[in-house]
Amino acid sequence: MPEARETSAVDADRLRGLVVRGYRVMAYLTGSMLIILCFVGIPLQVFGHDPVIAKVVGTIHGMLYIIYLIVAFAMTRLVGMRTASAGTVLVLAAGTVPVLTFVVERWVTRRYIAPALAGAPAAAEHAAAGR
Amino acid sequence: MSDVPAPAPGRLDEPRWRVLVTPRWLGWHLFAVAAVVGMAWLGDWQFRRAISGNTLSWAYTFEWPIFAVFGVVFWIKTVRDELRPPADAGDPVEIELPVGARRPGTTDGDESGDGAGAAEDDVELAEYNAYLARLATEARGHGRWHGLR
Repeated sequence: MPEARETSAVDADRLRGLVVRGYRVMAYLTGSMLIILCFVGIPLQVFGHDPVIAKVVGTIHGMLYIIYLIVAFAMTRLVGMRTASAGTVLVLAAGTVPVLTFVVERWVTRRYIAPALAGAPAAAEHAAAGR
Repeated sequence: MSDVPAPAPGRLDEPRWRVLVTPRWLGWHLFAVAAVVGMAWLGDWQFRRAISGNTLSWAYTFEWPIFAVFGVVFWIKTVRDELRPPADAGDPVEIELPVGARRPGTTDGDESGDGAGAAEDDVELAEYNAYLARLATEARGHGRWHGLR
């Protein structure tokens, strides 16, 4: 019985690490696309009358944001944030506001991810026995 | 916190879901329904635009319904968070009871130290302590989130 519990705890840690990494990747991807859209695509559309970049990048951002939404939501749950807390809403909405994903990613790392990751793998570190 | 009324003794046995029909929660239910219906409507609007030749609208035709589904999932999780305290709330707190008080659900049949004379008073005291313990259990993890603050 204890072995089974340890394995599932390790699996949970691995899943959490994976989702956190996925969240970071999606935060930076979505954020980058949104910056290109807002600071290159839309100026070109408005002032240069060339809507191609805005359309293409806008569509890409839309698709990325859907993935971001799902991964970020999974992340908030795995690090113990309440569903309808201001923090969760901020994380989810960040993907639609230019530059905000980068800021929020750093904040959520400091406030939730780092404590969650520091608390759980204590057992794994203990098992590693090297340190 | 102050807007959450302290539960009166009579309310203790009310089921947990009763918090979901408070005016504040009803407001949020309404908001959720409006948001999901709104997103579905936007999806339909984009579909009509896509049909009439706007290629870009095809992306939004699929995007809005996905957002609507996400809204429903978000809502279900919120309600479940409210009904069930989070796992990280920890193990039930052992409540220190005064000497002579009974824990709820136990009999003091095997307690040897109590004098027979004190037993009469103890029943009332134990009942009050059991009530306090129950209050503490009910209050824990509850009322931590009642709508966005």
